[in-house]
Amino acid sequence: MTYKYLGKSYIRPDAIAKATGKAIFLDDIRIPGMLYAAILRPKFAHAIIVEIDTSEAEKMPGVLNVVTGQDCKIHYGDNISDFVPMAVDRVRHIGEPVAAVIADTPFHAKEALEKIKVVYDPLPVYVDAKESLHENSILIHPDLTDYWHLPTIHPEPGTNIAHKYQLVKGSGEKGFDEADVVIEHEFNYPLASCAALEPHGAIAWFKEDHTIEIWSSSICPFIIRDEIAKSYGIPVSDVRIHIPELGGCFGYKSDVTVEETIAWIASFVPGKPIKWVASRQEDITSTLLGHGIRTVMKIGAKKDGELVALKTTIYHSTGAYSDTGVNVMMAATHNSTGPYEFKHCDLTGYSVYTNTPPVGAFRGYGHAEPQFATERMMDILARAINMSPLELRMKNYLKEGKVNSLGEHMWESNGSVEKCADIVDNAIYGHEQVKEDDNYYYGRGFAALMKSPKGAPFSTKGCYMKMNIDGSVSINMGGAEVGQGLRTVVQQVAAEALQIPPEKIRVYTELDTQFSPYEWQTIGSMFTMQGGRAIVRAAKKLIQILKRTAAQVLKTDVDYLEYDGENVYLRNDPSVKISVKELNRGYITEDGITVGEVAQAVSDARLPRYSNPDKNGQGNLGVTYTFGAQGAEIRIEKKTGKVIVDHIASAFDVGTVVNPLQIRGTVLGGVIIGLGAALYEKVEIDDAGNITNPHYFQYHIPTLKEAPRQTIEFVETPDPIGPFGARGIGEHPVIGVAPAILNAIFEAIGVDFYDLPVTPEKIRAAMETRKENVK
Amino acid sequence: MNKTITFTINGQQQTLEVEPGTMLIDLIRDQLNLTGTKRGCDNATCGSCVIIMDGKAVKSCSMPSEKADQKNIFTIEGISKGMHLHVIQQELIQSGAIQCGFCTPGIVNELVALFDQKPNCSETEIITAINKHLCRCTGYEPILEGTLKAQKKLLG
Ligand code: FES
Ligand code: FES
Repeated sequence: MTYKYLGKSYIRPDAIAKATGKAIFLDDIRIPGMLYAAILRPKFAHAIIVEIDTSEAEKMPGVLNVVTGQDCKIHYGDNISDFVPMAVDRVRHIGEPVAAVIADTPFHAKEALEKIKVVYDPLPVYVDAKESLHENSILIHPDLTDYWHLPTIHPEPGTNIAHKYQLVKGSGEKGFDEADVVIEHEFNYPLASCAALEPHGAIAWFKEDHTIEIWSSSICPFIIRDEIAKSYGIPVSDVRIHIPELGGCFGYKSDVTVEETIAWIASFVPGKPIKWVASRQEDITSTLLGHGIRTVMKIGAKKDGELVALKTTIYHSTGAYSDTGVNVMMAATHNSTGPYEFKHCDLTGYSVYTNTPPVGAFRGYGHAEPQFATERMMDILARAINMSPLELRMKNYLKEGKVNSLGEHMWESNGSVEKCADIVDNAIYGHEQVKEDDNYYYGRGFAALMKSPKGAPFSTKGCYMKMNIDGSVSINMGGAEVGQGLRTVVQQVAAEALQIPPEKIRVYTELDTQFSPYEWQTIGSMFTMQGGRAIVRAAKKLIQILKRTAAQVLKTDVDYLEYDGENVYLRNDPSVKISVKELNRGYITEDGITVGEVAQAVSDARLPRYSNPDKNGQGNLGVTYTFGAQGAEIRIEKKTGKVIVDHIASAFDVGTVVNPLQIRGTVLGGVIIGLGAALYEKVEIDDAGNITNPHYFQYHIPTLKEAPRQTIEFVETPDPIGPFGARGIGEHPVIGVAPAILNAIFEAIGVDFYDLPVTPEKIRAAMETRKENVK
Repeated sequence: MNKTITFTINGQQQTLEVEPGTMLIDLIRDQLNLTGTKRGCDNATCGSCVIIMDGKAVKSCSMPSEKADQKNIFTIEGISKGMHLHVIQQELIQSGAIQCGFCTPGIVNELVALFDQKPNCSETEIITAINKHLCRCTGYEPILEGTLKAQKKLLG
């Protein structure tokens, strides 16, 4: 299908402000009378706080107040309220806020921090789910059973398990009886940082009129608003949250992170706005981490390659607080099938408390982690049954007539993983493999993938649209622009829906809960689909308003009228028409009497029949899927063990390409994050719970020289839910990269890796063992 | 002891008192309110804070502020002229090199300094310059592409 304004590379509306340095990010906001906070972090990752002495700190220059968490009764979290704004009687991870100084300058605040004296009584530290699960382990949350939680969350009393989720399809584990071949391995996708270039920050202001105003580098102003209102017992309408430009998110700026802490600090000095911006070290050690997922996977298959049974156990080291992580675990559990049909599934996931920073979203959200396992397993299984790995996959892909783990039926309109696989197959295997030479081993690898949104059944996005007197349109929504380019999508989808050129559509900039239409939060690669649908629905209403007014002016029935962006006209005689400019504020008749409504409309959109899991853990928990495939061509330097990725090919069935330039950018950037996960990125935590690499020079994210050449293509099978057939793509480019690279590593040197990242040291060690074995 | 320094920033002369221990980034962002200069790290790794000092791209987060004395400085605010964007800014925009835009000011300054000093520099030199900057969004390809197009245009 061809569209007038979709499929064209319009330039993002915020590009100029960003290129000229005029875009306002959190740290750029200055409010008269603003003060600064610095936060004390503990010396131990798990300890009882025996005593805090703030007297010395209070006497330091510029200091207004020193705040601790003593007597803090607030517990927050919109899945399970296990979070506290500041440590009360114990610390549970190394980045936890213990106390804070409020001062006239950031420098004075930090200086005074050193004068706070804390006596700790250390407790045992668990840095991995497996340690906390040990029967002798002490409880990280002794009060677990007291916490409020959603009915779908199942904490296990007397353990460190914050949530257990189980899914059974078909005969569950019994299904393995039908298998000829069974393989089992354990994989690890370690803790990592989203590491957006802009660190987290917030400004909180408790005002004398009992309202609270907060600015945050967050993507969920409405959740923050609800939680803050609950914490301080005031109406939600008395809390106002502003979101300025965001310098990247990739997951960890979703949910409530630092805002409750800064609000707690600000609550001690009513009337004064308090600002706090994380250092890079604090961004890594005290906000949210990602991943931390161990996947134990067992696959049963017939000799001919038909997959029959899958057993997955997800051990999620969710960190000291689990509110932001429980859904990552659930996504990881039911999406561990990858894009394949298994007749029988027995899938279990555990969100486990650990003495590490809490885990939240990271681009890929529970899909990258288990499908890293699935895609490695496909290659390993193919070897076991002597079949080509691509053929094995082809035989089992989810497609029309298949049923996924959740019991959802797949249709042609879900898109084609097969077409994506063919594109990548051709891009990666369509030419001769380079032969090993003096310096390098060469390898090629493949991975298929799928992703569902993983939102919440009540997740919704709103759109407010108004047509101005000159026929231009202003659009306001609650979606957070983090760099992903949703403003361009809004502009183009609205243009298409209203048949008005994008140049005449102005998209909102910052978010403000006082003005922005409600949106749950901008997560799950869902904005194009849900937000786009909200736009289409609002546009329909707006056009209907214009038609109703025109019907009065043109003296006819509404359903005889057509609209083309400029005029409303009579279908059978288009010469009978009236310009939208004369209609959009109501029509002013000759004698001034005005008829008709103002052309403005509000709408929202939700996924159809998205549900909670049933007693089998199944249900409409995915609803919409984007399928894809990725492949890697790599080299391994013999001398150093360094993996050089020369080429990554990606193909996704995105339904409809809204903006070719921008969607290519989405994939380019996502692939680089996947590359980081495969080869470089891991937040290193020692046995005492200290993070030993909390800086960019230690926590390496890929640079230009490490970026491979990329082939990027799209299949367009229109989606019945999304606007003009479009579906989500934000997170997907990350998912297949690591398994494709590791599969390529196997081809190059014949070694299977199960843990990320694969560093040169690991490669060298494997090569050494290989040499030993040959001897 | 505070020190008084005089320098030119974006074409305008300034005399300011600076506290010892403060970095140029603090002076630029907090004293002069030029917030286009960004801070992305704690130890001179990310490149977000790069400005141009006497024609060279420097990291303002690791430059003591008193070093600005008698210098000629440009921040991102001084790169475009009114409504006219620098060719580098234009080409980065056209190539899709801007997503969140947090890394952009530093990269623009790096490249403006590079092309002013060495308009004919090789692609390898360009890559080395961009490689000093972290970008978590774009995958770098559009940045390189935009830069190469800008160089072509600048060379006419
Ligand atoms: S702020 Fe990162 S290099 Fe200066
Ligand atoms: S565009 Fe976001 S960091 Fe570069």
